[in-house]
Amino acid sequence: MAISNAEGDPATGNEGGGERKRKRRADPPVAKWRTEGEQKTYSSKLIEAIRRVRRSSAAAATDHSRSRAVRAAADRALAVAGRGRTRWSRAILSGRKLKLWVRARACRRKPLGSITAASASHTTPKSKPPTLERKARVLGRLVPGCRKLPLLTLLEEASDYIAALEMQVRAMSAIAEILSAAGAATAEPM
Amino acid sequence: MPIEMSSRRSRITDEEINELISKLQSLLPESRRRSMSRASASKLLKETCSYIKSLHREVDDLSDRLSDLMSTMDSNSPQAEIIRSILRS
Repeated sequence: MAISNAEGDPATGNEGGGERKRKRRADPPVAKWRTEGEQKTYSSKLIEAIRRVRRSSAAAATDHSRSRAVRAAADRALAVAGRGRTRWSRAILSGRKLKLWVRARACRRKPLGSITAASASHTTPKSKPPTLERKARVLGRLVPGCRKLPLLTLLEEASDYIAALEMQVRAMSAIAEILSAAGAATAEPM
Repeated sequence: MPIEMSSRRSRITDEEINELISKLQSLLPESRRRSMSRASASKLLKETCSYIKSLHREVDDLSDRLSDLMSTMDSNSPQAEIIRSILRS
């Protein structure tokens, strides 16, 4: 899948490809999700994706299935904008169906999760109060592909994911405004 | 003092909790942060989850809206040209 390249975009303040190759940051900078450039790129890609959905959807498609197709397209475009630097974006791109299938197989064996974490004490040696543990698991389920992460890593992913979602909401709202205004503007006066 | 204890493992340190708390606070938008100034890590985690869920709901609603408005995006409709020019600017 071709990933859009917004290198050298003055809005993000990044230099060209040189900076990206030299600096291998552990955490992807969250600020990029708030730039106008990023939102514009995303909006264009999203409109194209929605057009494809429209072309490929059957005449008998229900409102709900069309809406879900739009949601899926919006999420995929968002993951692509993530440029594969985060777990959540890679999880979305590798396909939800595949993940569900893999999870279904894993569930048939012994349920792992915190039991594994307990026995592998050299990897996660700290025990957390049960409330924190439970809530961390809820968070892990909300961020794609982040179920089994240790809490602090999970927060890094969640940080990027939240910023991306906020951009997604801004972009989709703006597009919806443009589309409904365009529809109203060109409507025939009664 | 935390309730559970394993003889082999050490508890999560206060320093880690503080790091957790400040990290969690930075994830929330200003509007949600105001009531959380002295919240525990647990409360902040809950608020973070609630925030992500509300963002997901917004995206679902917007997907509904966009799929309804999709007809205005036909390549040969006048609206499509308006949209293209706005996105190019």
